[in-house]
Amino acid sequence: MLRKIFGLMVAAGFAATLAAAPAQADAIDDIKARGTLIVGVKADYKPYGFRDPSGAIIGIEPELAQDVADKLGVKLEMVPVVSSNRMQFLEQGKIDLMIATMTDRPDRRKVVQIVDPNYYSSGTNVMSQKAAGLKKWEDLKGKPVCGIQGAFYNKKTQEEFGAQIVAFKGTAEVYTALKQGSCIGFVYDDSALIAQLQDTAQWGDYEMSLPTIDDAPWGLAVQLGEDKFAKLMSDMIVGWHKSGRILELEKKYGVANTPFAQAMHEKYKNM
Amino acid sequence: MSSTTDLPVLLPAAQRLAERARREREVGGPIPRLTARHGAWLAVILVFSAGAAGAQAGAAQESVLSIMLKWTPLLFQGFIFNLAISFLAMAGGTAAGALLGIWQISLLPPVRAGSWLVTQFFRNAPWLVLLFFCMFLLPFQVEIFGVVIPLPDWIKATFGLSLPVMANVSEIVRGAIQSIPSGQWESAESLAFNRRQTLWQIILPQCVKRMLPPWMNLYAILTMATVLASVVGVSEVMTLTGQVLSAEGGRTDLLVPFYSYILLWFFIYCYPIARLTVRLERHFVVKT
Repeated sequence: MLRKIFGLMVAAGFAATLAAAPAQADAIDDIKARGTLIVGVKADYKPYGFRDPSGAIIGIEPELAQDVADKLGVKLEMVPVVSSNRMQFLEQGKIDLMIATMTDRPDRRKVVQIVDPNYYSSGTNVMSQKAAGLKKWEDLKGKPVCGIQGAFYNKKTQEEFGAQIVAFKGTAEVYTALKQGSCIGFVYDDSALIAQLQDTAQWGDYEMSLPTIDDAPWGLAVQLGEDKFAKLMSDMIVGWHKSGRILELEKKYGVANTPFAQAMHEKYKNM
Repeated sequence: MSSTTDLPVLLPAAQRLAERARREREVGGPIPRLTARHGAWLAVILVFSAGAAGAQAGAAQESVLSIMLKWTPLLFQGFIFNLAISFLAMAGGTAAGALLGIWQISLLPPVRAGSWLVTQFFRNAPWLVLLFFCMFLLPFQVEIFGVVIPLPDWIKATFGLSLPVMANVSEIVRGAIQSIPSGQWESAESLAFNRRQTLWQIILPQCVKRMLPPWMNLYAILTMATVLASVVGVSEVMTLTGQVLSAEGGRTDLLVPFYSYILLWFFIYCYPIARLTVRLERHFVVKT
C-alpha cells in the first residue's frame, strides 16, 4: 500500500514537471514585460565593441543591439562579455541575446541557438614581424604564438600546425607581448589585424603574410528553444543585409567593407 | 620595566629604536611598514614610464598623460567598485569568521570538528578557485517565496572573496583566544563567571588588541585581491583598464603607464591603512 502511494507521488511529480515545461513564457514576452533587452557584447574588441571615455559601450555590434531594442520597443542594456564566458551567460539566461564576435561553429550550435543567416564573417590569420619571414602555417611549428583566451582557432593552430599558444586575456596584453618578442606572431581575426596594421608608425615592421584560413561566419545567438525570438532575429539580420546597414556601420567605424558584407547585401537587396 | 610616559615628548633616537625593537620582539619579527617614500618611488616610475612612452609616441599621437586623464573618471568608478567589493567581503567574512572562530573552541566535539574542517578547507583553497566556483555555480537569480532576487556578478565575486576572509578571520579569532594565558580562565572561574561570561567579558576584550593588526593586514590583502574579479568578468578597475587599452587601439606604449597608475591608486589607499594599523597597535598596547 505504502509503496503504491509512493509510486503515485513520484508519477505525479513527473507529470507536474512535464506540464510545467511548456508553460514557460517565451523570451520576447519576458523582454517586453521587463522593458529592457539585455544583450551580451564585447567591450574589448575595437571596432566591434569598445568603451568610450564615459564608460558606455559603443561599436558596430552595440549599434546592431540598439536596432533590436528599437524594434522591440524596449530599452537596451548591454553586458560586457568575453570569449570564455559568453555562452554560459546566454545559457544561464543572464543575457537575452548575444552579439559578441562569435564564430559560427557546429559544436557551439549544440549549446546555444545560432540564428541564420550569419551577420558577419572573418577569417583567421597571423600578424608577425617581417623579419620572421613566415610563408606558410607550418612555419609556426614549435614556436610561441600569442592568442586570446577562448578563441577557437587557438586549438587548431596548436594541434594542426604545432605552434605553442600563449593565451592572453585581452588584445592590449597581446600587442605588448608581441612587441617585447614573447611570441613570434598573434593569431587572430584577420579583419582586426588589418585594422591594426594600418597604424604603420607602430606596426610598420609587421605583416600578415600567411594565407587567411577558416573564413568563417559570425553568428548571433539566443537561448536554445527560443524559436520565436530566433525568427525575429533572423528577420532583423535579413533586414540589415538588405538595407546595407552593416556596410554603413563598417564605414562609420573605419573598417574596410568586407567581401562577406558586400556579398550578403547583393544577395538580399532585391528580395 | 623602563619608565614610560604619555606626555608628547620627543624621544631621542636611541630610545625610539629601543621602543621599536621592543615592539618587534612583541610581534615576533620585523614589522613591515609602508612609508610615504615607497609611494614617491611609485609616482616616479609612473612619470618616467609615461614620459618615456610619450617620447616614443612622437607628435602625431595623443600624449600618454592626456589619454590617462581622459579615462580617469571611468577608471576611478571601477576603483570605487573594487573598494565596495572589499568592504562587503570583509564585513561578511568577519561576521562569519568570528562565529566560526568561536565555534572552533566549542566544548561540543562535533561543532569544534565541523568548524575546524570548514576553516581549514577555505583557508587552504586558492582564492581564484573559490571565486570561479562562486561565479559559475551560483545562479544569476534566486527565487525566494516568489520574489526574484537577482545575483549580479559582483555580488557573487564578493561572496567568493568573503569565503577565504571568513576562514582567515576564524583562525585569527581562535589564535587570539588561545593566546590568552589560561590563568585568565581559571581566575574567572574562581570568581564564579560561567563560560559565556568569561568569553564575552574577560577573554574577547583582551583579544581585540591582538586581532586588530592581523585583521587589518587581511583587509589590505583582500583589497589587492579584489582585482582577481577581473578574471571572472566583473567590471572593476582591472577589467576596465584592459578595455580602455583596447579602445585606444592596442597602443603598446600605454600598458605600463596605465597599470602603474592603478598600482599608485592602490598604494594611496592602502598606505593610510598601514599607518592606522601602527597607531591602533600603540593605542591598544597594555602597559606593563
